[in-house]
Amino acid sequence: MNWRLGTSVAVAAVALAWGVSATAQTPGATYVGNDTCATCHEEVVDQVAGTAHGSPAFGRLSAHGCESCHGPGSAHADDPDNEALRPSLAGKKAADKDAMCQSCHDGGKQFFWHGSMHQTRGVSCADCHSVHAPKSEVALLSSRNAMESCLSCHKNVRAELWKNSHHPIREGKIACADCHNPHGTQTAKLIAAESVNEMCYSCHAEKRGPFLWEHAPVRENCLNCHTPHGSNHIKLQKTSVPYICQQCHSNTRHPGTLYDNTRLPGPDAPQTGSNRIFNRACLDCHATIHGSNHPSSPYLGY
Amino acid sequence: MRAQHRFVVTLAAALALFGGPLAADDKATGFQLNLDRLDLAVYDVDVDTDSSKFNEYSDWTTGFAIPKMVITGGDAETGRYLSLRSSWVGRRDARYTLDYGVSGRWGMQIDYNKIPHHFGNNAKLLLTETAPGRFELSDTIQQALQTTLVNQFAANRNAINYAYLNNLLRPFLAASNTLDLGLQRDRTRAKLDLGKMGRMAWNLEYKQENRYGNRPYGAAFGFGSVVELPEPIDYKTSDAQISGELKGKKGGLTFGYRYSKFENDLAAMIWDNPFRITSSTDPSAYQAPGTASVGGSAIGLAALAPDNEASWMFVNGRMKAGTWNLSGALSFGTMEQNDPLQAYTENTAIVGVGFNGQTFAATSRGALPVSNADSKVDVLTFTGSANTRFADNWTLGFRVKYYDYDNKSATIRFPGYVRYHGVWEEIGRVTVPYAYTIEDYSADLGYSIGKDGRLGLMVARQSWDRKFREIETSDEDILRLTYDTKLGRLDLRFAYEMGDKSIGEYSTEAQEVTFIHPEGINNLPALRKYDEAAREYDAFSVRGHWWISDRVDLAFGVTSRDDDYTKSRFGLVGDELIQYDAELSFAIAEGSNLYVFYHRSDREVFQRSRQSGATPSTNPLDDWDVTFEEANDTAGLGYNMTSGKWKLDLKGTWNKSDGLADMFSPPGGAPNLAVGFDDYEDIEILSFKMALDYELTPNLSAGLDYRYEDYSLSSFITRGLTYYLPGALLLNGNYGDYTANVVGLRFKLRL
Repeated sequence: MNWRLGTSVAVAAVALAWGVSATAQTPGATYVGNDTCATCHEEVVDQVAGTAHGSPAFGRLSAHGCESCHGPGSAHADDPDNEALRPSLAGKKAADKDAMCQSCHDGGKQFFWHGSMHQTRGVSCADCHSVHAPKSEVALLSSRNAMESCLSCHKNVRAELWKNSHHPIREGKIACADCHNPHGTQTAKLIAAESVNEMCYSCHAEKRGPFLWEHAPVRENCLNCHTPHGSNHIKLQKTSVPYICQQCHSNTRHPGTLYDNTRLPGPDAPQTGSNRIFNRACLDCHATIHGSNHPSSPYLGY
Repeated sequence: MRAQHRFVVTLAAALALFGGPLAADDKATGFQLNLDRLDLAVYDVDVDTDSSKFNEYSDWTTGFAIPKMVITGGDAETGRYLSLRSSWVGRRDARYTLDYGVSGRWGMQIDYNKIPHHFGNNAKLLLTETAPGRFELSDTIQQALQTTLVNQFAANRNAINYAYLNNLLRPFLAASNTLDLGLQRDRTRAKLDLGKMGRMAWNLEYKQENRYGNRPYGAAFGFGSVVELPEPIDYKTSDAQISGELKGKKGGLTFGYRYSKFENDLAAMIWDNPFRITSSTDPSAYQAPGTASVGGSAIGLAALAPDNEASWMFVNGRMKAGTWNLSGALSFGTMEQNDPLQAYTENTAIVGVGFNGQTFAATSRGALPVSNADSKVDVLTFTGSANTRFADNWTLGFRVKYYDYDNKSATIRFPGYVRYHGVWEEIGRVTVPYAYTIEDYSADLGYSIGKDGRLGLMVARQSWDRKFREIETSDEDILRLTYDTKLGRLDLRFAYEMGDKSIGEYSTEAQEVTFIHPEGINNLPALRKYDEAAREYDAFSVRGHWWISDRVDLAFGVTSRDDDYTKSRFGLVGDELIQYDAELSFAIAEGSNLYVFYHRSDREVFQRSRQSGATPSTNPLDDWDVTFEEANDTAGLGYNMTSGKWKLDLKGTWNKSDGLADMFSPPGGAPNLAVGFDDYEDIEILSFKMALDYELTPNLSAGLDYRYEDYSLSSFITRGLTYYLPGALLLNGNYGDYTANVVGLRFKLRL
């Protein structure tokens, strides 16, 4: 058992020993309408009124306003101090809260919510969305935008986005949801395509091919060489060229050659430089590394 | 006047004319339009260098700007709505999103997103692009350089070294053109949600991206003659999809068809050889210009990304059966490419030799065995999952995925090829339709503990079946243990995962499948390509969120992953990553919030190789290895405050990467010594943003924007770069250090 597994077991044991008890909700009685809710919860009702859930058009989908989600509120209205009668969703299990949202939002992007990673790990709709007080312009998010919403949990990714080579996510030009569907997909990592590569091709269609000369690992998985959230190496490479190439190509002659400090151009000694390590290294010659359509390019050179 | 300014002036005039009506009731229809927000600003941008990194994905310039504009409208009675959200109006990084429809019935969205991507400024190009994809050098210069080189080769070939060539090129480089490297993506996406028609709901979607500009491309005439060029980009990608959705009480079904077409207006790039005006060939032509040869082609030729198209039919289903939630997806797609092939070369001196021994002009397309690529892949994907909750606290899930990448491309046999435009290599090559199938199976058992606790155990197996690669079959067994809970005010998520990939026989001969007559193994027999190699890994993650009080919360985490390529003697051997992070948020008072965060990651990559000559070395003293150590620190803080009529928003982020390449080679071999370096990507960026607003009236506020960025790059890969280095004529665009200050005065209008 290595240290990771040992630490894992220890943390799990402590957490299990602590334990948590469940709370129960009491069902309400009859519908009383938004006006009754507003007598005490005016601010919330006003906030919701400014959202899609508060629009008059919502009335065509449900006639019960607040009680569409909270359930009939007469018992609570009659005895507002009785905590057991409060139709709040806050104390409910994630699955119960999700079931409430899914009673309407069960198609489109939410089609595969059941069984998705977020659902099985207990992330509920309300962890990202705020029906009462959304901060975003769209999608009723509890964060100012979708990226902040994702990064509120995926802290590692935030640091990745600040690395030198990155997709324009922090610049706001693409969003996490352009590649992932947080509501569930049938592909690992909530990728919104049949495979990682098919996702990448949606923006990098010139690499889709198929080409005359293929580079097999490229065709299998872009992530063999690239890391999508950020890298300090050019073109989101996992390891910099030429070394990432040498992780697979240790052939005779130049692919297996050591490219060390002595082969870099010195400030006063440019003649020491090798075009196989500086600039784009291997890619200085093997420019069509994703595949080539040139009859003379079996080495993906030109 | 720049197009941006013309656009802005036009828009401002239109707003002045129509601003009143926009804000007024349209009583005839009941539809009311509001100019919800209009930000007008003037910015002063001061950057101390011409680094493209400052505007890598943006378009900051001094002058007038419209950072934001929002127009909304609606009709309470009919549910009709409209929303137009715009940012950076008129700039190269502008975005406009229009939503229109009737709530609950139908809706449409048109999104226009402009994304610039700058790669380097003030690059230098000895050649001139005389037509799209055609790069030429004046005949006078070409002739002068060729004559000088030929004479020198005859007189003393050993003098043709870097210093000699650098002196030869220097005056021409000094007089050559500069250009900025970068491209622009203009994306349009239109979605139409037709709403329900009977029991069916229908959606249409169309996307088009026009991509234009350039990017660096490593064109080459030989090992010692890279001529880096700005590859012209003129792409159009069009995607269309129609889908339907049927929902029932116990399930749902979606289905549709998706089509994608990629078009490149440029099939090829052709460029002059700076060192040759007349094409020639000799067995060493790809070593030119140098002591071995000053021959070679006068013109280079590269095939650019070919047009391609793809389509998919898909159907997704979901149903509830008793306590089980069942879902599945099936799709069948094709990807095709059938562009006409370019000739072997543009070098008129090269004579090709066919399978039958007959010779042909290698510049003739008619000499190719086929005229088009005829490449096609079918992709079949099936996924299915079944999940249930049983015995109150237990959940059970199964998942299966089958992905078949069936390459039906033609296998094309070429009698040889032209190496670096310099010489015909009579080495028969054959294209290879690499293909693979992936099968994933997993089972997930969960046990709920209390209201918010869940213990999960997942076991999975991923199996690969490849064609034409070193490994035909591999199986990876994965075990994952998770525990999520709430301990009072503490949310805790924990995961541990381990995997063990076993592989079938590793065929080092597989790399020779592109040769009609295998030449013999030239990769190290003990090397394992890491994407196929046997591997053991374990990963660990703890994430916590502690709501210390109603005002203070702390999020923290530790994650790590360790990959060991247990049977790889050469190649990637190990990759280890550990990360820590913490973030503290503090609601100081009503309308006053502060956060600080810190993230640290340490990565260590170890790989080994053996330097070889013409045959794989068997001498362990020729081994070398390298350990890359990358430490990355990211820290940030943010503060926002609203007090009376004042509003302040501050954000600062600092990111620093420190990399090291620690190399070793035992003495006595070749290499005899390995000298590592400590600038394996040392990068630092400090970014600070401030927005201070004062409410002049309920509808108008004035604001001061300030942005500071300081960026530095110290990387082995850019160390000492200039326009000509040994064996490479480089564009050398600047994407290095900069310090930038942006100051802006902004007015925010709400009607």
